[in-house]
Amino acid sequence: MSDEEKNSWLEKNTFHHGEFWDILKLVEEKEKKGLTISLCIPTLNEEKTIGKEVLILRSELMERYPLVDEFAVIDSGSQDKTLEVAGNYGADTYLASDILPEVGDKRGKGENLWKAIHQLKGDIICYVDADITNIHPRFVYGLVAPLIKRDEVQYVKAFYDRPLNYSSGLRPSGGGRVTEILTRPLFSLFYPELTNVIQPLSGEYAARREVLEIIPFPIGYGVETSHLLDLYHKFGIEAFAQTDLDRRVHRNQTTTALGKMSFGILQTFINRLHAQGKINQIPDMETFYRRFEVEDGAYRQIVQEVVEEERPPMIEIEGYRTHRASLSS
Amino acid sequence: MTIATQTKDSALETLLDDIPRQIESLRLARETFLTDAVLLGEIPSPTFGEGDRIRLVVDRFRENGLEEPTIDEFGNANGIIPGSSGESAILVAAHADSVFSAETRHVLEVGSDHITGPGIADNSIGLAAVVALPKLLDHLNIRFKNDLILLANVKSLGRANLEGARGFLDTVRRPIHAGVCVEGATQGRLSYSGLGALRGEITLNIPKDYDWSSFGAAGAISHINRLINQLMEIPLPKEPKSKMTFGGLTAGSSFNTSPKTGRLRFEITSEGDEVIDDLENRLNEICEQFSLETGTEVKMETVAKRQNCGIPFSHPLVKATRLIMDKAGITPKVDPSTGDLNALIRAGHPGVTLGLTTVENLREENETIQLEPLFAGLAQLITLLQAIDGGLCEE
Repeated sequence: MSDEEKNSWLEKNTFHHGEFWDILKLVEEKEKKGLTISLCIPTLNEEKTIGKEVLILRSELMERYPLVDEFAVIDSGSQDKTLEVAGNYGADTYLASDILPEVGDKRGKGENLWKAIHQLKGDIICYVDADITNIHPRFVYGLVAPLIKRDEVQYVKAFYDRPLNYSSGLRPSGGGRVTEILTRPLFSLFYPELTNVIQPLSGEYAARREVLEIIPFPIGYGVETSHLLDLYHKFGIEAFAQTDLDRRVHRNQTTTALGKMSFGILQTFINRLHAQGKINQIPDMETFYRRFEVEDGAYRQIVQEVVEEERPPMIEIEGYRTHRASLSS
Repeated sequence: MTIATQTKDSALETLLDDIPRQIESLRLARETFLTDAVLLGEIPSPTFGEGDRIRLVVDRFRENGLEEPTIDEFGNANGIIPGSSGESAILVAAHADSVFSAETRHVLEVGSDHITGPGIADNSIGLAAVVALPKLLDHLNIRFKNDLILLANVKSLGRANLEGARGFLDTVRRPIHAGVCVEGATQGRLSYSGLGALRGEITLNIPKDYDWSSFGAAGAISHINRLINQLMEIPLPKEPKSKMTFGGLTAGSSFNTSPKTGRLRFEITSEGDEVIDDLENRLNEICEQFSLETGTEVKMETVAKRQNCGIPFSHPLVKATRLIMDKAGITPKVDPSTGDLNALIRAGHPGVTLGLTTVENLREENETIQLEPLFAGLAQLITLLQAIDGGLCEE
């Protein structure tokens, strides 16, 4: 792709949520196309923020404007009142372990996202993280709108205003630390077209069922990266769009947590490179993430196992195929 | 008892009997007003800086079905729910400003039975009740004969001295029948009078040529401390009831440097206007004398001054309010207002202020409202509006 083509993609497939402020119009277009939309929030101990997310998104996007047809919270086994609070404000609540029990239970956000494909009915599934403190309906309508309006778009990614530091009119726009230090350099090396995705690791995205059910889901940190790499491999950059959702306020992660996350993402990335023939002859990768701590002047190595287990494409699961067949009949 | 009185009593009884149904029905519309409370409450709205919140109020008025909501020349948002006759109007007002600065992190936490965050009680939930009123009335299938004027008034608190509400009432062109001011805090509040009040700020400066070697020389903090002691010695009459509150004190920023400037904020409230005038004079004299005796510059600025006003306890509006509260299971607590009700009554309109729910940590960043009492709180508001609309609150 030439620079001109890249710019054209950026121009054509990059939106601002403000373009979709007329939610009523979106509802009309959605109904005209016969689409249904499911909203999924994956959770683990999110009682502080989940109430507000469910209250606002359900009230605005289901009751005031019927844009969303189904609203589910899929939980990994919270020890706090996450499910109670979510249910109190009208979300359908599920334990991930109760969905497709025959395939077992794995712990991780990706597991909840994957099982949502089976549990939810919508033609479009929109995923929103549970830790957004400035939640607003734009986090949903901004993501589903390009899918409603443009049939060729399969997957819409959020990006946010994250000013780093600027003193003039030129403002750097980018992602968080892991994006800028790990993901963007890797994309630049191996998938330069994907560098057009401004925040590849953002936790909010919407996609059509047809594409979600044919890709595998890492259950841990690599899920966002694998989506981009797998869909890009299958459909190219034209399948993607991205929407500026302005500001997102959330918990800040420690550098240590980001290191562990990067380790998981790297595993996913290298697996794809290998599978897609971009690099050959790689040795088996270690699954132990090593870092250091200092206590009383003594350095100590901390070793944590981070295995990026993956779920296969949902379409390969018999229970899912039977379930979908029963729905369509 | 005249036939007219009997008819009114019977009409009020009918409204009272409907309160339990309203309370139950409002539970089903909970999300409508809680969403507004959260969306409005997360926009900072300090007094004189309410613009962003007011823009959202106008958007929500429009989305909730008001035809031409506007922002007036004072910055207030207002809109009308047209009544079937439209001959006169009932005002429903909530102040849109908050005591929290724009720098405060305006993030609300929504739990199963509560919402916590700065300004949720004072007055995001009160404002949300006014904003959501068209939807709530639709939900309850209630229509009015009179127009309902919904007002989100700005510049209510502190230095603003009710500027927004006064400006609106000075310029409104519709005949107003009566008014209800809505506050989040606290359920049971029944204000039917505006308390005379004076708010002031005393600034003490140490001049450049101050003689630090003289007997009694000190920094601003020590001087203000002495000044406060003198003010506290002013005898306050028991009748009419009067009170002096020191609400703010700022001076200095370090451990070891005497500050040159200090500010003291205070409020005097009294049921007697003459007491307020007298205390204002006394304070000015004390400041002048203190300045001369200590070689400091002491200035008192009157930030806001209001006279007593009100409607009698026996007014049918107050009587109806008490009956409604009783039926809704709310115990009334008479509490003279220093807020927007003052502007309403001084403009010649009968009115009351109601509180919607129970509150903890009022005016702290972890201000918390309980959700369960809200349904009765809203039912009392809506039933009172129905009673006013039905002519049941007139003398």
